[in-house]
Amino acid sequence: MFNYLIRRLYLLCITSIILTIIAFSIQHLTVGNTLDSNVFSQYLDYLISISQGELGVSALDNQPILKTALIAFISTLELCFFAFIFASIIGVPLGILAGLERNRGIDYSIMSIALIGLALPVFWVAIIFTMLPNLTGWVMPIDGNISVIYEVPMVTGIMLIDSLLVSEQYQLSAFYNHLVHIVLPATVLAIFLISEIIRLTRHSITMIMRSNYIKAAHTKGFSRPQIVYRHVLKNAIPPIIHQLRLQISTIISFAMAIEIVFSYQGAGMWLFVSIQQGDYLALSTAILIISGFILILSIIVDLLLVLISPTKRKVLYADQ
Amino acid sequence: MRFLPIYFSLAFISACYQTESTITDTLLYCSDKAPHSFNPQISHDVATLDATTHQLYNRLVKIDPISQRFVSDIALRWEVNSKKTEYTFYLRRDVNFHHNDYFTPSRQLNAEDVIFSFDRMLAKEHPFHLTNVVAETYLYNHPFSNLVADIVKVDDYTIRFMLNKSDATLLANLAAHYAVIHSKEYAQLLLENDNKAQIDYLPIGTGPYQFKQNSTKRLIRFQAHTKPWEKPSNIKQLIFDVTPNSTKRYAKLLSGECDIITNPAPSQVKQISKNELFSLSSQPTGNVALIAFNTKSKSLQNSDVRHALSSAIDRQTILDAVYFENATAANNLLPSNSWAYNPRAPLVYYTPEHSREKLQNGEFDFSQTLRIVAPIKSSIFNPNFYKTAELIQSNLATIGVNTEIIQLRNEELNATLMAGEYDLYLTGISPYIKDPDNLFRPLFSCSSNQIEGNTGQWCDTKVQALLDNTLLETNFVQRVKNYYQLQEYTQDQLIYLPIAHLLRFDVFNNNISGLQMNPLTGIDLHSVNKVPPLTKEQIK
Repeated sequence: MFNYLIRRLYLLCITSIILTIIAFSIQHLTVGNTLDSNVFSQYLDYLISISQGELGVSALDNQPILKTALIAFISTLELCFFAFIFASIIGVPLGILAGLERNRGIDYSIMSIALIGLALPVFWVAIIFTMLPNLTGWVMPIDGNISVIYEVPMVTGIMLIDSLLVSEQYQLSAFYNHLVHIVLPATVLAIFLISEIIRLTRHSITMIMRSNYIKAAHTKGFSRPQIVYRHVLKNAIPPIIHQLRLQISTIISFAMAIEIVFSYQGAGMWLFVSIQQGDYLALSTAILIISGFILILSIIVDLLLVLISPTKRKVLYADQ
Repeated sequence: MRFLPIYFSLAFISACYQTESTITDTLLYCSDKAPHSFNPQISHDVATLDATTHQLYNRLVKIDPISQRFVSDIALRWEVNSKKTEYTFYLRRDVNFHHNDYFTPSRQLNAEDVIFSFDRMLAKEHPFHLTNVVAETYLYNHPFSNLVADIVKVDDYTIRFMLNKSDATLLANLAAHYAVIHSKEYAQLLLENDNKAQIDYLPIGTGPYQFKQNSTKRLIRFQAHTKPWEKPSNIKQLIFDVTPNSTKRYAKLLSGECDIITNPAPSQVKQISKNELFSLSSQPTGNVALIAFNTKSKSLQNSDVRHALSSAIDRQTILDAVYFENATAANNLLPSNSWAYNPRAPLVYYTPEHSREKLQNGEFDFSQTLRIVAPIKSSIFNPNFYKTAELIQSNLATIGVNTEIIQLRNEELNATLMAGEYDLYLTGISPYIKDPDNLFRPLFSCSSNQIEGNTGQWCDTKVQALLDNTLLETNFVQRVKNYYQLQEYTQDQLIYLPIAHLLRFDVFNNNISGLQMNPLTGIDLHSVNKVPPLTKEQIK
């Protein structure tokens, strides 16, 4: 296990260095550097400043850019989290149903819906959703992550918590307001995620239903619900998590596009406004933070999979 | 069944949600642009005027929106001497400056503050004269520098404006957006702290709202003046939400996240006017969109050529295709409701069939290519310069005149204009006060350059004399006569072909009342009253 962890960390280091080189090059090309020293020593200085958490100051508000970027990125993650919860509640049962009823009417219906979800461009769906409240008469906000009438200071960066911290001033209305603001953007993101989760769950369930131990369970005379609950679901989850891990960057990219449509104050909106106003330092900072997060998360997911799935444990041995 | 909890929780969250339009002491104003600064003395863009002139500041006098006469603001009353060269203003004694976390005034407004505010613009050695001002613009001090010889403090609450000569435009200039009054005490504090630039970005004024916060140019918060000298505002929290996208602004109005939106897209106006929940306000702005003919260009020196080209341009199509319903047709540089408007000035009609003939008779060189220069970015004068240029190009092509369209960014544009490297230029003019001099002088005066407005590069002793004499003329009838004469002459010369008089549109929820739109000085939100939203039945 220890060796495996070291191997993963080693990989993390190499990828991180490549990332910093990309980020440094972008910063060098866009922001420029007037210092006379050569590129290599500038890169070393850049590495030192990254290790100290000093990525520079934003030209827009004179605040440390790392802090602003992290707060924005946490908002994006919050949006992804809600979308993921939405999508899991809807997508997993539908995927299981489609997998169990493979090649039947219900499977075709679910998969058609999932395919449509995958085919629709996410920004287009987002624009349609901004018009939805007015078309349906359902009063929902379409702009930002909380109403501008609430002045919520950023303490943790997680608006859900920060809006609770101002409950003395606004009671719970700021908190509710934030929740309502999340509904539409999270639903749009969830549409893509639901399709993905249905597809993955169906595939995983199908694979497991064909395996010998399930056939054995059938011959033993277990009922279908018993087989599904005891054997199939338990073994179907790890491949889904493994596949979703590969989709994290897509999910974050989609979330960022959705943010721009809904003016949701996350990493996408922050990056969009920064670039629009010529603060190119945001570009390299965003690359470092987002890619760094995806790297670390994928390693954590790897470790998690090893812990929960016995079939994955073979990767613990270097020769496998 | 599995989805029921989601539906219930969504319904619960939605039920707890109150749109901003239901909160009656908060007003959300969604504008298309962020103000450049919070001082209308140095920034003259519409967004700055909307956010500052009436909200943060007061002037000595103002124009009553109904009677259109000058009424008192900070000056309780004023007197004029018999020669009309001295104006004495008696100030109110109860005017409080804003009181907030970055400034606590120790005294009320007095003559020192008025003198400070004007000296900043006029006195070159004033410590704040060049603060936050990149270059001295025409409006920064020009309206007063030729007009005012001195401003004298008679006592703490009396000041006297000594004019160089009798001038009819002083009161109009004092009621303009750039004549706002600042706090001298605040300026001195900033000077001591070596933080002069703050004066225009963390403003202190006397208006009904005081500045609270400006977060990254997207959200500007004001709160009601804590010690108002006028009737306190009903709105306690005023928020300017900068939403550049017009579709988004309208969507936010529909979802209750904006109470007022400004500048809806021309294509939305018809749709909005059908919606019973909203009121659409349209005001003539005095801004004119026009085509400037470069009279220094060899091919356009002859006024017959300018007439021939003008009558080949189908302005009605431009109006329909580019402006939709955001503008009215312009036959004259002045709008028809101006007191100086001359209904007898020669008009230009769309007669392309005669244009070619006229050009041939005038020996126009059809082999040359005329350059139509236009800015890349849309502006208040034109929502789509390129489309306008294309329409003109196609009109001129039908009479056999070749043109090329050159679109330029601001910096390149200024250089091109100064070098005179254009034949036709798509532009416009925004007057800042209602006096016609404010419109004609930048366009026709010999002392005005291309950047200041004279893109026709016109300089004529007759026009110059008319402009100068009329400015000094105190007899109103004579002024009208002079401007009639000026219009007849300049329309005959056709240096500028007016395309459209622009309208300003603002849309607001029907639960809002008391809104005053002043197209020249910006929106006035002091008397706004907001009640809970009305249903369609209540409106009916």
